[in-house]
Amino acid sequence: MLTLDQVSKSFGDRAVLVDLSLRLEVGEVYGLLGANGAGKTTTINLICNLLRPDRGTITLGGKPISDATKGRIGIAPQENLLYKSLSCVENLRFFAAIYGVPRRDREGRIREALAAVNLVERADSPVETLSGGMQRRLNTAVAIVHRPDLLILDEPTTGLDLEARHEFWDLIRTLRSRGMTILLTTHLLDEAERLCQHIGILQRGKLLASGTLAELRQAVPAAEVATIETPDEAAAIARAEQLNWPTRHYGGQLAFWVPERLSLAELLAAFEGIAIDSIARHPVNLEHVYLELTRSQGTSP
Amino acid sequence: MGVWTEAIAVARRILTELVRRRRSLVFWAVFPVAILLLNGAIVAERAQISLVDALEAAAPTALVGAALFFSCLGGTVSTLVAEREQQTLKRLFIAPLRGRSYVLGLTLAHGAIAVGQGLLIYGVAALFGATFRGSIPLGLLVLALAIAIYVGLGVILGTRFARRTEDANALIAAFGVPLLILGGTFLPSEFFPDSLLDLAQFNPIFHLNEAAIAVAATESDGDVLRSHLTVLLGFLAVILPVAALSYRQTVTLERRL
Repeated sequence: MLTLDQVSKSFGDRAVLVDLSLRLEVGEVYGLLGANGAGKTTTINLICNLLRPDRGTITLGGKPISDATKGRIGIAPQENLLYKSLSCVENLRFFAAIYGVPRRDREGRIREALAAVNLVERADSPVETLSGGMQRRLNTAVAIVHRPDLLILDEPTTGLDLEARHEFWDLIRTLRSRGMTILLTTHLLDEAERLCQHIGILQRGKLLASGTLAELRQAVPAAEVATIETPDEAAAIARAEQLNWPTRHYGGQLAFWVPERLSLAELLAAFEGIAIDSIARHPVNLEHVYLELTRSQGTSP
Repeated sequence: MGVWTEAIAVARRILTELVRRRRSLVFWAVFPVAILLLNGAIVAERAQISLVDALEAAAPTALVGAALFFSCLGGTVSTLVAEREQQTLKRLFIAPLRGRSYVLGLTLAHGAIAVGQGLLIYGVAALFGATFRGSIPLGLLVLALAIAIYVGLGVILGTRFARRTEDANALIAAFGVPLLILGGTFLPSEFFPDSLLDLAQFNPIFHLNEAAIAVAATESDGDVLRSHLTVLLGFLAVILPVAALSYRQTVTLERRL
């Protein structure tokens, strides 16, 4: 569906993207992860033909990106770029027209988009009267009203409360179930973990890793991660070294990679003789992977 | 999809927003009617003519000088500034909307308002017994030129100089009002000293007002009208490419997310 091949982009002397290669398959949600300034938005600008790459090629459905491919892409930007005094229907009617939806299909597509984002009951409400979460959903409805081949969601849940975030995740799942290909940029690791079939991790314009969650987990060769609170960290670290368990600090908390699944009793036994305030076992998740991959650079999402 | 379909969608959206907000529409209706009645009363008293004749003399400048200046020029600047402030301009640049469709949409929307203002001004004048005695096709030509020039200037000012609403207000106050006075909108150009009359030749509003007065006159001087129309076409020939260039530069600068 979408292919970026060895794409590079610089602004002056500053390299923003370096040899970025990505491939999105039809019907998948691809998560592009990265801290602020990693190059996610530049990647979107390039895909939307708002910027041109210095090197490399970008194709959508086998055709090079150009102004002609703009109509095949739907984008929900980070901010809700909507006409606030117009109603939901009026916003959708306008964007359907400029995206070339034929007049005879327009009202049907508008109803379809409103239903997809669960805003049918607020169809005639002015945007300025909607909650932040509803405006975000309408922002997405505008992006899908012309039935794009590729939907780009740029940090779609930033600033939403927990309930609205869960509603939005359900929406993304619904869109995917209808066969839509989605590029999701986010710095929320749990969001990517819940929604994406493939994940790419960008840092300072370079793709550090790309693959399924299972493939990315290979970056942390452990069965699980144990976190420990102890007044005697040095002793715990020394014991872990004896056991050949790599030591990490996640958010200031001492953690060890445990190579095989152990019961809590076995884990406590491993630290016998050391004062332990608390100990917990965690499956290896995307946060561990991300921190491991970006560790040498000293940044986090 | 055709340029017209896109332009009509843009125009409909602008008009819907204006109807929804109402404030601008009320101003654009009250202001020219007030100018018409005040100028009519002043001219009737000072020139010792009937109010009907005075209103017939005041109507052309109330329309092309006062009404269209604020609706077509000020309205275009306001539309662009509002799009920039609520960032919808970015969304338009992401979409496959052509630049010429957008500018044509702006022109259609403000042209529709201009036609409404024309009907209002001549409707109010007609209530007092005044009529339009000139050539309707020539009147429509002057109206179309006025709309095109004002929207073109609005695109230039809105894209290059006005990033916020305060900028737009300051622009209109600093440059617009002096240009209106120098254009003979509030005071007939016969009252101008020679030096100001020379300066007025460089002001498109002056030529619009003079062309509108010439068209509305019962017996218009063809040479005078022709000379003003020629100058106006010259202004338009300069304004349109500069407006297109300004718009293109804005697209280049602002079309990133």
